[in-house]
Amino acid sequence: MLKSSKIEKQFSILRTVFSISLALIIAFILIYTVSDNPFKDFSTLLFGPLKNTSRIITVISKTIPLLFTGVAVSLIYSAGQINIAAEGAFFSGCIAATCVAIIPNIPPIIHIPLCLLAGFIVGSIVMGIPGIMHVKYDVVTIVSSLMINYVALYGGLYIILNPLRDGKAGFEASLPFSLNAILPKLFNEERIHLGLIIGILVVIIGVVLLFKTPFGYEIRTVGQNAKFAKLSGIKTDKVIILTSLLAGGIAGIGGSVEILGNYNRFVYPGFTNHGWDGIMIAVFCRNNPKSVPFAALFLAYIKTAADSLNLTSSIPIEIVSIIQAVIIIFIAAERLLAGLEHKKIVEASKNNLKLEEVK
Amino acid sequence: MLDYILTYDFFFAIIRMSTPLIFVAMAAIIGAKANVLCIAYESVMLFSALGGVIGSALTQNLFVGMFTGIFCGLIISSIFAYFVLYLNTKPLLAGLALNTLGTGGTVYIIYLITGMKLDTSSLNSLRFPNVELFIIKDIPFIGKLLSGHNILSYLAFLSVLFAWFLIYKTTLGLRIRAVGENPDSAMAVGINVNKTKFIAILISGVIAAFGGLFMSMAYLPYFTVNMTAGRGFIGIAAQNLGLGNPIWTTVYTIIFGISMALGNTAQSFRLPSQFASMMPYLITLIGLLVIGMSNKYKEKRIKKEN
Repeated sequence: MLKSSKIEKQFSILRTVFSISLALIIAFILIYTVSDNPFKDFSTLLFGPLKNTSRIITVISKTIPLLFTGVAVSLIYSAGQINIAAEGAFFSGCIAATCVAIIPNIPPIIHIPLCLLAGFIVGSIVMGIPGIMHVKYDVVTIVSSLMINYVALYGGLYIILNPLRDGKAGFEASLPFSLNAILPKLFNEERIHLGLIIGILVVIIGVVLLFKTPFGYEIRTVGQNAKFAKLSGIKTDKVIILTSLLAGGIAGIGGSVEILGNYNRFVYPGFTNHGWDGIMIAVFCRNNPKSVPFAALFLAYIKTAADSLNLTSSIPIEIVSIIQAVIIIFIAAERLLAGLEHKKIVEASKNNLKLEEVK
Repeated sequence: MLDYILTYDFFFAIIRMSTPLIFVAMAAIIGAKANVLCIAYESVMLFSALGGVIGSALTQNLFVGMFTGIFCGLIISSIFAYFVLYLNTKPLLAGLALNTLGTGGTVYIIYLITGMKLDTSSLNSLRFPNVELFIIKDIPFIGKLLSGHNILSYLAFLSVLFAWFLIYKTTLGLRIRAVGENPDSAMAVGINVNKTKFIAILISGVIAAFGGLFMSMAYLPYFTVNMTAGRGFIGIAAQNLGLGNPIWTTVYTIIFGISMALGNTAQSFRLPSQFASMMPYLITLIGLLVIGMSNKYKEKRIKKEN
């Protein structure tokens, strides 16, 4: 038994390595077709983010929001809910934080938690609604969560561009934040902010909750087999709703942290894509929050590489999304290399049997 | 504003907005009948929109353009089908990956061909013509309403008929419904489940491709980045609201079309356009809730009666 689960694990790593290598090969071919200097551009893509400290800081800065959405999506997928409202929850977290952040004269010690709380509440509402609709009225979660993303988007943009709009800004943006709401920077770096610590805390909370608490056990049981969970006395409805609310709240805080850490007013013209990235991270991590920091770092690295490629060449930055697509579709292909995996497992079990017979 | 709503222009705007939605919604119906949750229609539409533009620009032949577009749609939907049916990729993830590919891939191809990153306006691509209906166009009022739309708009309404006929009147349709509703029994009577699902996905890919072609060869005269702007998702939503019934689904797509047309109007009348843009999604959410509630209510009543 132990042996075959080990082989399965090995193959899941093998699939990841295979997907990433394949993606890199495709990336090279794509760059080769459009670039005047393909080898230089390809090495920028691979090592660009390591070129100087400023870029390394960018990688870390881009990792921060992904920690939140990664954990949020891992939690909700662990409960077996195909809820893709993380995007909307993140966005509305930005909006909620903005609404609170423009209030003047609140001391920072109260103001920042207040902003994060606003992000949490609104985020959990956005993600909770599809969860509740599913539990109470059997509404297909994927469709309702997709819809609520757009409701959150346009509702949020309405708030920013009408009551909260700063006519003096010269571009479409909200009123500036009160200085007390802006997150303190860490290590004297402009782009590394308190959000990093909150993000790491969220990851730890996610791991502990999911694997060390009875509630986490309930979440995983519901996710693996809802019928069994129900029969063994778990209140599945309650678990699903609470997980949706919690995951949405985490994504919401992520939005608040991102906007308060990096900007002094609301500037996004539309979705930020952090929620979709969260889904990708959850796929990488197999819904285990423990691996979220690594996956988030990896994704942030790719994004920074794209930015540096954009600076040094005329190659369209969107090439990176092709790479992401290739990686995600192959990692998610459960039966990729399945024949080989099956063969290995059969061999291993045969060996085990022989050993037992000898004994 | 009311003056404008009562004009022919507004009616034409509704049809223009509804056309791509009808195509995607019919594609979604066929996918849903086979019980495959495909969210990759965004990608199918984007690639076929671009394919159509490039094909027609290179050959200056509308039909070649059309077939290039359809071919692109077929490629994307067969990638989706292969990964989902044969490699056990979760449909959501395959769809997500393909949609990501749709954004990045189209930009890459535009850049490769035109050297620009935003649109193909420099290519001399063709458009599908508007058609005046013979005789009907001379009938007062009705003629003015029904005649002069884009040829693809007429085709969109035909696709509703096609979807209905395919699903309910053909052997293939029966098979698609069988593998969708109960794959085990379907297999027991000798239907190749994966093959049937594959065919259903391909057909839906072709229909969705027409939605993409409309976007870049009728709605606008060229391809721009992300020009489908979530229409693939709205099609899926309409399918869900219409419970897979082609007629009802079309009704919902037209409601969406109206709210999109109103959104454009609101903008020109300096009203907050966000509300109008939000409408299709909000309507869907509320609609799903109402349908869910009424289903629960019916269930309860049946339980009580027993």
